[in-house]
Amino acid sequence: MFELSEEHRMLKDLVAKFIDQELIPLERSAIAREARGEAVGLPPEEEGPLLEKCKELGLWALDVPEELGGANLPNVALMAMNEELGRTCVPFTFPPDSPNLHMLMAVANEDQKRRYLAPYAAGETKSAIAISEPGAGGDPAGMLTRAVRDGDDWVINGRKIWISRVSSADFLIVMARTGEGKRADGVTAFLVDRGTPGLIVEREIKMLGGQRTYELVFDNCRVPASQMLGKEGKGFAPMQLRLTVRRLQMGAWCTGMAVRALDMLCEHATQRVTFGQRLADRQAIQWWITDAATRIHACRLMVMDAAAKQDKGMDVRTEASMIKVFATEMAADVIDHAMQAFGAMGVTKELPLQIMAAKVRAMRVYEGPSEVHRATIARRIIDARK
Amino acid sequence: MKILVPVKRVVDYNVKVRVKSDGTGVETAGVKMSMNPFDEIGVEEAVRLKEKGVATEIIAVSLGVAACAETIRTALAMGADRGILVESDADLQPLAVAKLLKAIADKEQPGLIILGKQAIDDDMSATGQMLAALLGWSQGTFASELTVDGGNLTVKREVDGGMETIVLTLPSIVTTDLRLNEPRYASLPNIMKARKKPIETVKPEELGVDVTPRLTVVSVAEPPKRQAGVKVGSVAELVAKLKTEAKVI
Repeated sequence: MFELSEEHRMLKDLVAKFIDQELIPLERSAIAREARGEAVGLPPEEEGPLLEKCKELGLWALDVPEELGGANLPNVALMAMNEELGRTCVPFTFPPDSPNLHMLMAVANEDQKRRYLAPYAAGETKSAIAISEPGAGGDPAGMLTRAVRDGDDWVINGRKIWISRVSSADFLIVMARTGEGKRADGVTAFLVDRGTPGLIVEREIKMLGGQRTYELVFDNCRVPASQMLGKEGKGFAPMQLRLTVRRLQMGAWCTGMAVRALDMLCEHATQRVTFGQRLADRQAIQWWITDAATRIHACRLMVMDAAAKQDKGMDVRTEASMIKVFATEMAADVIDHAMQAFGAMGVTKELPLQIMAAKVRAMRVYEGPSEVHRATIARRIIDARK
Repeated sequence: MKILVPVKRVVDYNVKVRVKSDGTGVETAGVKMSMNPFDEIGVEEAVRLKEKGVATEIIAVSLGVAACAETIRTALAMGADRGILVESDADLQPLAVAKLLKAIADKEQPGLIILGKQAIDDDMSATGQMLAALLGWSQGTFASELTVDGGNLTVKREVDGGMETIVLTLPSIVTTDLRLNEPRYASLPNIMKARKKPIETVKPEELGVDVTPRLTVVSVAEPPKRQAGVKVGSVAELVAKLKTEAKVI
């Protein structure tokens, strides 16, 4: 039996309360913003007080080590808390965003820890990571952006696309090719501050669900050698580590989204009467409810299992891929059934369902499309038999 | 001054309660349990009194099964200093609880005991009053405001006719009403700290209290389903129906 410890259950309850009382009331305005074609993200006047509240409650630096002032929570606790975050369509994560934190913790040198990791861990700065390129998305090892050593500097040239969080990022982690290596070998990470000459935000791209990504151009973008993050040519593995962190988180978010959609579905099914019968009494709806509850249960256990393994220091890349595929497809189906049960109301721009549907649709693509993950999982299983 | 805050483990207020199929009570298996909301208000008030420097120590007490330790832990995370669990699998009724609490009060000598005005499970609203009688202390029930001034306690009470203000001499019993305060969230650092705070476990026998139930629950049933209403065509028809069918006018 998987059971959270008493303390972690209390933390989950704390986050649940925070979601119910602080975030769900902001859904109305988020839904309205998206319906007007604006970005769904929180405006500063809404985000500011929320961040204050988070600080007051200690919902801050959750996975940051204690020596950097964090709570250093294990993954099982973090995932339980992330599941709660998934229940709202308001985009929000407790600062700092985890994936780059883990990458910085893994490879930053002492100087970079002081300049980048410490303020980031304290939630004073925000970051983004630039991996994808027009010709290298699901296959990042095919990237072409190149950094060339010039005296004490590196000069970066190339183009990145689908980069999230750029508008608020104080610095970017930029992945670029160095040296002669092919594919994953020869990819190096660089820390590039916002406003560095030659870093051009080419355009903002409107994505489904009111999300925004950006296309970036690096035109002779010059950074000192001290901005190289980790070892030259060895940036790919830490970047993958970072993706694993995000994939588990996505599994937890999807569980939360599906929980919300199922909750809405059940609420509606017990009230709505058609042809003299409640929706809840119809087999089609009942099967949706059963399948949703079963798959939510499975997904939660998958996420918790991977989190517990990660806490023991085990490699969970395969589990993370399985979760990424299962969770996003599960949540997509549950949300879709909830929309169907709501009828016309389900396809308005007035319920959180359509934002959740759009969000989970994008999740099937970013951080590796389902098909790439499926191929990877199969390859590992087949290779293990050799 | 020490403050004693009894906290009861009840079915969470968000859960739709269901009667057990054999009619002996309410289903609690696999149901989310939480601290009685009125007790949460009690803990909050005690913590505020401590923050004001009026209270020196807050002791959270829960009575019942071993899992009541979780309820105590929640109180500790909100700011109580230590806990006492009176562990018993028996059906603890208000009089038994009041006697057990008296035994603890005799030992701990608190200046104030803050209880919820009632628990949301059986809604008895009896323990606080019984405890005041057993201890021979003053009581201010259904409090919506309280201030401690030296040896006196001023309690604003919610009564049928409006608000009543009474002045009590400490030590006293207070039971909380909904509007006394809005309980805080237990913050993450306080949840972590709560783990290190002590919880002492005692058995009713050690306190010398016989907890044998004095009341017998004959049966528990869900309220009957409401019958569908009738639409009337006019005021005249409504009045006629009220006179002849409902016979209320």
